[in-house]
Amino acid sequence: MQVQKHKVHRGDHGRSNRSLFRRTIFLMVTLGVAIFLPLIAQLYKLQITEHTYWSERAANQQRNDVSVSASRGTIYDREGRTLAMSATVYKLILSPRGVYGSVKEEDYKTESEYRQALRDKREMIVDWLADTFDYDEEWLWARMENTNNAYVEVATELEEEDAEKVREFVQKNKLSEQLYLTPNSKRYYPYSSVASHVLGYMSKNENSGDNKVGAMGIEALYEDALSGELGRVVTSKNGYGMEMISGYEMYFDAQDGCDLTLTLDERIQAMLEQTMEKGIATYDVKNGAFGIVMEPKTGAILAMASTPDFDPNHYAAIINEDLQAELDAIAAEKGEDSDEYKAARKEARDKQWRNRALADAYEPGSVFKPITVAMALEEGYVTLSDHFYCGGSKVVVPGTNPVHCHKHSGHGDQTLTEAVENSCNVALMDIGLKMGPEVMWKYFNDFGLRSSTGIDLVGEGTQVFWAEELFKGPTGTMSVAISSFGQTMKVTPIQMITAFAAVINGGHLLEPYLVQSITDSDGGTVYYHETSEVRQVISEATSDTVRSILESVVANGSGHNASMAGYRIGGKTGTSEKRDEEGDDVICSFMGFAPADDPQVLVLLAYDSPRRSAPGSNYTASGTYISGGNITAPMAGSLIASILDYMGVEKQYSEGELAGEDTAMPRVIGSELTVAKGALQNSGFNVRTVGTGSIVTGQLPSPGVSIPGGSTVVLYLDETVPEEQVEVPSLTGISPTKSKEILEGMGLFLRATGVADYNDPSVIASEQSIDGGTLVSPGTVVEVRFVSSINYGDQ
Amino acid sequence: MARKAKRDLTIEQQLARGPIDLPFLALVLLLAAVGLIMVLSASYVSAMYNLDPAINTEGDPMYYFKRQFVFAVMGVAAMFVISKIDYQHFRWMSIFVLAASVVLMLLVFTPLGRSGGGVRRWVNIFGIRFQPSEIAKIGVILYFSARLSKRNSQLGPPKKWNRRTLVGRWGEKLDRVGFLELVPYGVCLVVVLGVIALQKHMSAMILVIVAAASVLFASGIRLYWFFAGGGLAAAALWFIITQTDYMKARIEIWRDPFVDPRGDGFQPIQGRIAIGSGGLLGVGLGNSRQKYLFLPEEHNDYIFAIVCEEMGMVGACVIIALFSLLIIRGYWLAIHARDRFGTLLVVGITTLTGMQVFFNIGVVTGVLPPTGISLPFFSYGGTALMIQLAEMGMVLSVSRQIAAPKAE
Repeated sequence: MQVQKHKVHRGDHGRSNRSLFRRTIFLMVTLGVAIFLPLIAQLYKLQITEHTYWSERAANQQRNDVSVSASRGTIYDREGRTLAMSATVYKLILSPRGVYGSVKEEDYKTESEYRQALRDKREMIVDWLADTFDYDEEWLWARMENTNNAYVEVATELEEEDAEKVREFVQKNKLSEQLYLTPNSKRYYPYSSVASHVLGYMSKNENSGDNKVGAMGIEALYEDALSGELGRVVTSKNGYGMEMISGYEMYFDAQDGCDLTLTLDERIQAMLEQTMEKGIATYDVKNGAFGIVMEPKTGAILAMASTPDFDPNHYAAIINEDLQAELDAIAAEKGEDSDEYKAARKEARDKQWRNRALADAYEPGSVFKPITVAMALEEGYVTLSDHFYCGGSKVVVPGTNPVHCHKHSGHGDQTLTEAVENSCNVALMDIGLKMGPEVMWKYFNDFGLRSSTGIDLVGEGTQVFWAEELFKGPTGTMSVAISSFGQTMKVTPIQMITAFAAVINGGHLLEPYLVQSITDSDGGTVYYHETSEVRQVISEATSDTVRSILESVVANGSGHNASMAGYRIGGKTGTSEKRDEEGDDVICSFMGFAPADDPQVLVLLAYDSPRRSAPGSNYTASGTYISGGNITAPMAGSLIASILDYMGVEKQYSEGELAGEDTAMPRVIGSELTVAKGALQNSGFNVRTVGTGSIVTGQLPSPGVSIPGGSTVVLYLDETVPEEQVEVPSLTGISPTKSKEILEGMGLFLRATGVADYNDPSVIASEQSIDGGTLVSPGTVVEVRFVSSINYGDQ
Repeated sequence: MARKAKRDLTIEQQLARGPIDLPFLALVLLLAAVGLIMVLSASYVSAMYNLDPAINTEGDPMYYFKRQFVFAVMGVAAMFVISKIDYQHFRWMSIFVLAASVVLMLLVFTPLGRSGGGVRRWVNIFGIRFQPSEIAKIGVILYFSARLSKRNSQLGPPKKWNRRTLVGRWGEKLDRVGFLELVPYGVCLVVVLGVIALQKHMSAMILVIVAAASVLFASGIRLYWFFAGGGLAAAALWFIITQTDYMKARIEIWRDPFVDPRGDGFQPIQGRIAIGSGGLLGVGLGNSRQKYLFLPEEHNDYIFAIVCEEMGMVGACVIIALFSLLIIRGYWLAIHARDRFGTLLVVGITTLTGMQVFFNIGVVTGVLPPTGISLPFFSYGGTALMIQLAEMGMVLSVSRQIAAPKAE
């Protein structure tokens, strides 16, 4: 039967079966093979192409990486004073979600009661924060109402006492899930802006994440040593943050940062900064000042400063009054939101951060002359007995304008020493041209003026010199001549002082440095700086000769104002023109060292652009002649004297220096007049008597008081010592002899400092330790600073 | 019961005692065994932490595995029992299976119904908890295969239509294009889909449609109906995707799960992390880290991600290859089946299995937008596994009656 049926519908059946077969094959190919191809392609993409990406994501969520903080090392000065230290502070975290969740809707009968309760709670927290810490209430409210957020950093550097207040508040109101503290680290700079450019500051950058890292200076360069290494505990964690059972654990111990001891001395640094500030104020200096104090025998930097400076505790704040005044003016005119204000603020901040002593090349001017003289002496082009003639100008290249000496009438005939004392440009040009470009170029390189000094700070500037072919070529003659007195090329202050150190320290070019030693957290020394000599540039003998010339410059020449009785100071002044700038601004600088026979300290001090009293005038508004010799030398002289006193270097008085060392007044009351006189004269005092009698009944000053030797003490015979106070006279502009007379006539004593040359009529008092008009007891010592009133040209 | 001697059997009975297809059986058992191992690996963390609020594992890490194992054994037994049944009996059973599944699906909404994961799709009868929609799928396949296998024998002389009436004219026209014969299937599908739609069970609807379509397709229904149906489905899909916010959000998440990494995008991202971190060779069997409470559904719908993580691309491709071979063998059996019913039945079951594999892996790897379809033999779910194995039993039953190739 089946067979028959089959026959009847054979055609249909056949077609139908073929269709069934074809369609099943189609399904087989489609579902059995084709549909799996995109799946395998996708697997390839995820597991092979993107494998690294997904593995990282997996590791990120599966790993619990807890960092164990390392404390940052401390920075000490050479005497162990703490310049930078880290301490624990706290982050104050607010969880708006926590606050929101802490008020439960089911605890209240009505919706409005619940809303009110939530409002009250929020208000309580916001008000307390705003009242206690003066935070912006609006800001807090905006954060508080964002209930998705569970982490708002209200404060990042809360000190312990404030943290204590928070703890009390939290405990009292049971807010531990809503307001809490997490420890954080803060960098403190106890001396505020002192040495700010050297120390640098800490800030976040794009790579540092939540941590602050050193952003400039020592903090930046020694970041790795100071920061130590964060410790880590790595464990596997599951989706709920708990540990995986088949997990792994790894521990990395935290390594506390190393401590640094700098060559810097905070006291000397403060002296330098004060001297700079004082000079800027006294001479109305427009563009600030910079200065470096170096130990010439080692290259150790004792101080380095640049104005304007900043406070690393608040590194972005404008602390310079002039800059702030400029900003205020812009803010008043354009508003604090204006682009101009923002740009000006950024510029002011950058200015404060700039370490000009390190970064800014300048034309060194006449301060460079000792270097030219040193190379000429070393190579035998000149000797001390050579004579130079200055007619006021020199035609360097025939057919061009003559180059003038600063003294247009000319210095006449001079020895080498006199030429440097006079800071004579013509003589120096003669020396330079005699040597020629080859020799000078060699010594530019040898003195390290054409390469970085290698000081351990970031941001050392670059010098500007001519191209070598140009300098040595036929058109270079003018450059050779002018470079001999330090104009047209630019070097950085640190290059200049390093080269100068080589001139006076026996010819050794040293690598200047700031970090003396690095000690790890266990106290072990991991690094100690040994003096690193780059090369011997000139011989010891040449160095000795130049040193004596420079001592003579201070004793007799344009550096006279730097001389301080009792200190053997050598140095060179400079008034550098700014040839690449419009206007007639100059940099008044002085490079000085002491004691001249065995230099312990080398100082470079420069004031950038003292304001002229009127356009074209050569004087400041205060009446000082604008030159390194008149503006910077007295400042540098005082500074060097203070530093030597601080360092405990013994004073050496030369023959001509009249004012002797301070001597204690012996007790002579009750003695016979003749005995008393003898004792006092033995101590180096002069004696004046008041009254008649033979027994001393009173003495001025009292026994034990120290007054300068050579002072005239007063003995009272049958008279009482007057006790009413006397008015200190104003001595400004008066000569040392006259000043002494006036003071001693009033029962006061003079301690003369500075240019204490009694026989030089040009020496006058410039300032006194007790202002004129002040009432003082008889016997008081008034310190008076004398300067030379000669105008020292030294361009 | 004593076994009847061969000579006492009818031809039909003799055929039903033929040898089952060993390659197919081997593939099924292999996949079931590997699936069981993967359930153990994937589920023991979840079981240990006793995470599922609906299931109390009492912290026994083997909890899920033990259950799955019992069901697997029972399922294999059921498979053998069913393979012994002469599949011709399924013809008459089919209508009852379909009707029963519809009734069971309606029971979901009675107190016998059970919820899980926020949806109500299960019933609990005599302590056995299962999804009736699983039965609906095989019910539809059985019923359609049984009915469509008679299609050729019904092709007698065309029915005479009364052309004088409008109904007659239209009837003739519709008959000629093959519409009328589709009506019963259409009605049947609409009913079943309607009931599933009540459960908001999109993936089950898709699978029922796919299974039904495959049987219709193989049976020789004119292709333009598939184009029409496909067009209709595409239009409906387009409408749902573009017009409903729910689907729009799903598509958005599918295109870029990182738009909501903590919400709807969490599972796709975690799945991809698992797959991607596996690399070429995987982190090793049992060493998955993503199963540590990161990846939700790690022993259910997302078990394949754990396979990829632990055994790498190589392991995943081996599993896919096994499925591919199973499907190819299934269609091979369909082609060689003794009659049209056998062919259609096996086509339906094979297509259903293949599409489930495709949908599941497609979703887990991100090729397809997320929908909850489990991976046959792998995903945890005892009754689903049993039903799966029972379906394999039907295929094996068909394989018994394939005539041995003539020895020449």
